[in-house]
Amino acid sequence: MELFANLAQGFAVALTITTMALAIGGCFLGTVIGSLPGLGPSNGVAILIPLAFSLGLDATEALVFMTSVYFGAMYGGRISSILLNIPGDEPALMTTLDGYPMAKQGRAGDALVLSGVASFVGALLATIALMLLAPILARIAYLFGPAEYFALYLLAFCTLGGLASRNQAKSALAAVIGLGIAMIGLDNQTGLPRLTFGEMHLMDGVDFLVAIVGLFAVSEVFIFIESHGKNSAIGVRLERITIPVRDIVNSFFTMLRSTAIGFVAGVLPGAGASLGSFLAYMAEKSIGRDRDSFGTGNPRGVAAPEAGNNAAAGGALVPMLTLGVPGSGTTAVLLALLLTLNITPGPLLFEERPEVVWGLIAALLIANVVLLVMNVPMVKFFVRILSVPPWILLPGITMVSFGGIYSLSGSSFDLILMILFGLFGYIFRKIGVPTVPIILGILLGNKMEDSLRRAMVISDGDWTYLFSSGISTGLWIAAVAGFIAPMFLRRFLAKPEPVAD
Amino acid sequence: MKTDRIFGLGVVCVALAYVASATQIESGFLSDPVGSRTFPYIVGAIAVVCGLVIALRPDDDPAWPSLSTFGRIALALVVMYGFAVTLRPVGFLIPAAVASAALSYLIDPRPVAAIASGLGLSIGLFAIFKFGLGLGLAPFGRLLTG
Amino acid sequence: MKSGIRTCLLGGAMSVGLVVTGPAFAAECIAPANPGGGWDFTCRTIGKIMFDIGAVDKPIQVTNMAGGGGGLAYSHVVNERNDDGELIVAASSATATRLAQNAYAGHTADQVRFLGAIGADPGIIAVAADSPFQSLGDLLDAVKADPSSVTFAGGSAAGGFDHLKVLMALGRVGFTDITRVKYIGVDGGADAITQTIGGHTQAMTGDMSEVVGFLKAGDIRVIAVFTEERVPGFEQIPTAREQGVDIVSVNWRGLYVPKGISADDHAKWSDALAKVAASPEWAEAMVANGLAPFTLVGDGFETWLGGVIGEIETLSREIGVIK
Repeated sequence: MELFANLAQGFAVALTITTMALAIGGCFLGTVIGSLPGLGPSNGVAILIPLAFSLGLDATEALVFMTSVYFGAMYGGRISSILLNIPGDEPALMTTLDGYPMAKQGRAGDALVLSGVASFVGALLATIALMLLAPILARIAYLFGPAEYFALYLLAFCTLGGLASRNQAKSALAAVIGLGIAMIGLDNQTGLPRLTFGEMHLMDGVDFLVAIVGLFAVSEVFIFIESHGKNSAIGVRLERITIPVRDIVNSFFTMLRSTAIGFVAGVLPGAGASLGSFLAYMAEKSIGRDRDSFGTGNPRGVAAPEAGNNAAAGGALVPMLTLGVPGSGTTAVLLALLLTLNITPGPLLFEERPEVVWGLIAALLIANVVLLVMNVPMVKFFVRILSVPPWILLPGITMVSFGGIYSLSGSSFDLILMILFGLFGYIFRKIGVPTVPIILGILLGNKMEDSLRRAMVISDGDWTYLFSSGISTGLWIAAVAGFIAPMFLRRFLAKPEPVAD
Repeated sequence: MKTDRIFGLGVVCVALAYVASATQIESGFLSDPVGSRTFPYIVGAIAVVCGLVIALRPDDDPAWPSLSTFGRIALALVVMYGFAVTLRPVGFLIPAAVASAALSYLIDPRPVAAIASGLGLSIGLFAIFKFGLGLGLAPFGRLLTG
Repeated sequence: MKSGIRTCLLGGAMSVGLVVTGPAFAAECIAPANPGGGWDFTCRTIGKIMFDIGAVDKPIQVTNMAGGGGGLAYSHVVNERNDDGELIVAASSATATRLAQNAYAGHTADQVRFLGAIGADPGIIAVAADSPFQSLGDLLDAVKADPSSVTFAGGSAAGGFDHLKVLMALGRVGFTDITRVKYIGVDGGADAITQTIGGHTQAMTGDMSEVVGFLKAGDIRVIAVFTEERVPGFEQIPTAREQGVDIVSVNWRGLYVPKGISADDHAKWSDALAKVAASPEWAEAMVANGLAPFTLVGDGFETWLGGVIGEIETLSREIGVIK
């Protein structure tokens, strides 16, 4: 088998004492960075690139180290999502929906272990798929033009209706707020600024990290000041930490399905990990018998987005390696790393530099195993965070958020923007406007608009172009179904919502 | 009831202002069939509809906190704002210590504990950021070091 | 209280564990964009080589300062670091284009000192391997006959450098109805190629470095390169000039420094940059990244750049990107 020969070559490159040490160190650093609000995987990798150089690492060692950081950060993002309701990074956004309710019920340990296993399954299967199919899968990217991407984003927004919140108008408003914020900045199709009011800091738009940290972390401080920690996971008595075997077994197929969805989303350069975890979550929610319990601490609602986003992270390496198209911020940074190491990804990378590709794949497999082994015992350490008294924990989170955002952008402007997001986050949470759709709007709004406008440039304004391919038509049908289905289901199937008192 | 009515109307106003500023978007000579303004218009229009629906079919009022709690939240806002604007000129250490001590006090009014957590967080986090992650943070800003 | 101390200790222990032989950084190179782009490459590669060949005695720290297409870094340098002798900033044709288009909030090119360029990415036009267009002439004729039949994809926003190249080429063959030229700005050169190979757009405008892999794999055909001579290593690709379209357009990679630094510091950096340009390491990096030799350091560069900015300004005024 050529595959095994290749893999053996990869392991021969990647499996030395130095690289193992680097993998462990990288996984640890990555997990820490990923779990800090305001520092996501892309920043994590970017921050540590100079370190890779100052350590004098060679190409393979640097690659092993950075991929460990990358995957570590993908794992780490879930920790603050589950424990504090603050997504460590944008792919971990969906994990807050069921992970935090589980933590409030004292099941933080279970949620962390389960999500760790789901992450492992997602990442492992994605790496195997990458190994077997990358050159073929790269072709999928060619099939997606502006029309297909538009339909894909439309699908995401149409299924949003089924998410959270009793009040559909408030859900829709949240998505629209996100979209409205996304419009700010340089308009790609005209090259002119929009809605920036002459402020240079807004030229590149509002950074979603600023929005996430503001809406989730900063607003948490206000909520806490008001409630003195009632209805929060901080200080909840924890159950003894065991391996939640039943949850893992029950969500096994959830993990597999979510991995498939996440991987495909990752392979498409325009979609990425956030869309992968979102679609994985919504798919599970729509097919589950227990769909009503999603959002209230359903373990499958934790497994789905984690398997989905880690699979997407693996999938995103496909276009990055075979086309040189970074599908996400993080792969953009890894791409930069490869370029600095004089490795140019592209259609010929697999043939010209097999040692790099297989070394990387071996590194991914190693990182995955290291992360699983490291993460499960570390759960005990992480849940301790909840027993740190709030008068240290909350100022600490605030300082971490401010420090993280500031050191990346170097401007007070972003910090002030973040405080504003925090204030609005507090008001929205009081009024019952969900915050997750706001972030999705910011993340996907521009892409959706750009793809529509590109499609219309190509077709000279002919709307039928949007349905001109099989893929786009299929996605449109799914989008319409996803929009209408919840209305019917709500009317005919679901129990009447309890009236809030 | 009242909250949502006010909020809904507020949304309508902001959405109209958004649409109004969208009319000012320059589009230059290079315009595409969709244009720079279409999406902002659509977004504004949907927001108006949502705002009206919220105002006309309001949920029950959330439990708003007392005036003194609002005061403390406002104080927390001021503290954070102060931190944001002093971070660059004064550096990380002092503003971080003051801000985290103040926030700590607002969460749990025990002065000694607040001061201790302020100092501990400021120094500990600085060490992590600067030496652990290699982030570009200055301990003392230009204002102090000249 | 006890747990407070514990947290501090924990933080301290963690940070000690994380400290890994961090060397003291001397100078700083600002890449005015997120990691992964050309500016980031410039800072990291030039910075690394400067240290490796001993042109500077300490490693150069790379800072990413994304914002306003480089405008944020530009105004940061002009307003706050104007006399910082230990600062270099990555620049390229995009910097010049945006300055020419007044996209840096009123800042002008004379507010910093452009140190030099030490490599250039030749501009190219590529089509899919199965495209009917065999030459630049074919493609431009098709646009002249029916502008709506061809959509160009490029990695910069409309009005950006990739777009302007197409318009300049069309201008040279007498097509002036430039607002009818269809162009979509996507997220980077590789994305533009993907769209073109997929048949969603008909031609891709970008830089040589962006297409090397696809060219070798046989997925695309480069129908023209915008240099004076054919590019070494890519002798099979004809220049636009050979095909009767008189256009030379390269995306240079270089640095600028603050305006207020001492003559000594300026000389130091010019010197270091010239040393990098002459080093075998840089020659290697250029080949690996599809850059063509293009060394112009010092006063000559500033004069040349002035001319380039003038031309872009005129063209941008014609297409209405600036008023």
